[in-house]
Amino acid sequence: MAQPASSQTNISRLSDLKDKVGHVPFIRRNSFVYGSLSLLVIYALFLLPSKGSPDTVDLGRIVIFCLLLLVWAFIIFTDELKPEKLKTIMVFSIFIIAGWLYYRYSTARWGEMGFLFFNLEMVQKAWPTLVEGFWTTLLLAICAAIMSTVIGLLLAIFRSFNNPVLNFFIIAYVDFFRAMPIIVLMMLIYYALPFMGIRLSAIVSGILALGLNSSAYVSEIFRAGFLSIKKGQIEASSALGLNPIQTMRFVILPQAFRVVIPPLVGNYVASAKDTALASSISIIELLKAGLSQKSLLANPSPLIFVTALYLVMFVPLTRFSGYLEKRMKESQRQVRL
Amino acid sequence: MFLRTSSRKGVKCKMNDTGAMIEVVDLHKRFKDLHVLKGISTSVKQSEVVAVMGPSGSGKSTFLRCMNRLEEPSSGHIYIEGIDILAPYIDINRVRTEIGMVFQSFNLFPHLTSIENIKLAPMSVRKISDQEATERGMALLDKVGLVDKAKVYPEQLSGGQQQRVAIARALAMQPQIMFFDEPTSALDPEMIGEVLDVMRNMAKEGMTMMVVSHEMGFIKEAADRILFLVDGLIVEDGTPDQIFNYSKNERTLEFLSKII
Ligand SMILES: Nc1ncnc2c1ncn2[C@@H]1O[C@H](COP(=O)(O)OP(=O)(O)OP(=O)(O)O)[C@@H](O)[C@H]1O
Ligand SMILES: [Mg+2]
Repeated sequence: MAQPASSQTNISRLSDLKDKVGHVPFIRRNSFVYGSLSLLVIYALFLLPSKGSPDTVDLGRIVIFCLLLLVWAFIIFTDELKPEKLKTIMVFSIFIIAGWLYYRYSTARWGEMGFLFFNLEMVQKAWPTLVEGFWTTLLLAICAAIMSTVIGLLLAIFRSFNNPVLNFFIIAYVDFFRAMPIIVLMMLIYYALPFMGIRLSAIVSGILALGLNSSAYVSEIFRAGFLSIKKGQIEASSALGLNPIQTMRFVILPQAFRVVIPPLVGNYVASAKDTALASSISIIELLKAGLSQKSLLANPSPLIFVTALYLVMFVPLTRFSGYLEKRMKESQRQVRL
Repeated sequence: MFLRTSSRKGVKCKMNDTGAMIEVVDLHKRFKDLHVLKGISTSVKQSEVVAVMGPSGSGKSTFLRCMNRLEEPSSGHIYIEGIDILAPYIDINRVRTEIGMVFQSFNLFPHLTSIENIKLAPMSVRKISDQEATERGMALLDKVGLVDKAKVYPEQLSGGQQQRVAIARALAMQPQIMFFDEPTSALDPEMIGEVLDVMRNMAKEGMTMMVVSHEMGFIKEAADRILFLVDGLIVEDGTPDQIFNYSKNERTLEFLSKII
């Protein structure tokens, strides 16, 4: 372009300005955002209905208020130029406002909160049943874990023989039990098998269903563990004169176990959570115990307590399996370096 | 002899008493369509050190691996101390205890320390006591110069040290024969010497050895014979002096000119 240098810089400065001011859409500008925020606060103070269960017109106003709030949040969150601090405040204020709205307009009986949900007396009354339920849950989880480990390990070992016929049946087994929802399996074993002359107690049916399901996953985990072992290891072991069983026991299994433990623990935790499904075939495990006591005492506290117990048990376990996973990844990286 | 005890009563052992430690007759190996070994016949006497040389893909590894049946030969006969190891009644694990094997990639067991690597086979296969196995293992570690690394895991050892532990591990079974498949190819140059020294000592002590290697110095000094393999056939068989200095074979000369 043959334009003189001075006018060129002029133009570029103008377009810079335009970029900075002209291209910021109206709704993104600070004056608009803060102005609308003030209007929203005034709306909340004067137009929202007073405490109590609202009629339709009031409900409409509440909905409009929520929508405006969300639009305002959206504008701020999609704007990189807005400071981080503002976004943090936004998140907290949305939580607080939502909680406050719920507290103010829901039909919950807030005064009776303590009595209804966190009633220690009720928990105390339900205690013997809950403890029993806890032991049942533990029994289910442990038996299922043992069963799935034994079956899964055997399947993985058979799979490693690479026999096409054997493989076909193992793959069919794994596919079947991975595809089958545990609850369906439980019902099948408990309610349908008796018609074929196989009558199993509820608890055995529960263990069987959980164990069979989990064994499919465990066998895949072990298979991956075996596959991670290099061919040279088996060759070195054979060349020393170890027979296949000795090779499995002294060379393959110890190495596979290291790889396998993190996913295995994760699988046990998942399977332990699934014990709650056993409540569907009238096993009095933790959930069923909580539910039955809830009905008996006409108070949800036992159920709340059970929920809390599940969290207390499983948050550390989930954390633990995550930790194992991370540690293994790190040690693998070290070996590779 | 060791293998005769393993034959079942009533089954006549196929014997081939030529006095050779290893006798290979018309050995063939096919991988599906690929004909890798095309009729190898040779014999190795007690205490002989035989170097196996040849271009890449000529079947050197396959040859060694057939002789302890890590690969199943397609046809032919292999006699170890006069016993046909391809016969159906042979317990191959028993045979393998008499043949030590050292691999290019060491293949130490990473979950065991050096001494545990060495102890594993004697304890599990030969069923000797922990104490005796430890004593023997330490003696072997002393022999390969690694007593101070007994309690160390393979990943903390250098390549040369790993290979020396692997040799000690093979020796722990007190084999009659040792196979080496390119034992120094995966090593940095400064570590090759320490491994070859160990092998030289074994040769001096009268071990029967078959070594796939292209270490000219070692072969000239330690090998009694060289087998030259090309395309699954032995094209030359002679002393290092004959082969290095007087060979008339085209393929041999071409190969030697490349590696010297
Ligand atoms: N398990 C196997 N399946 C199919 N083919 C194989 C197998 N092992 C070896 N081969 C083939 O057999 C041929 C000989 O292989 P081998 O490893 O014995 O050669 P080599 O002489 O040891 O070569 P290098 O010096 O590279 O080690 C090669 O063409 C190889 O691709
Ligand atoms: Mg090779």
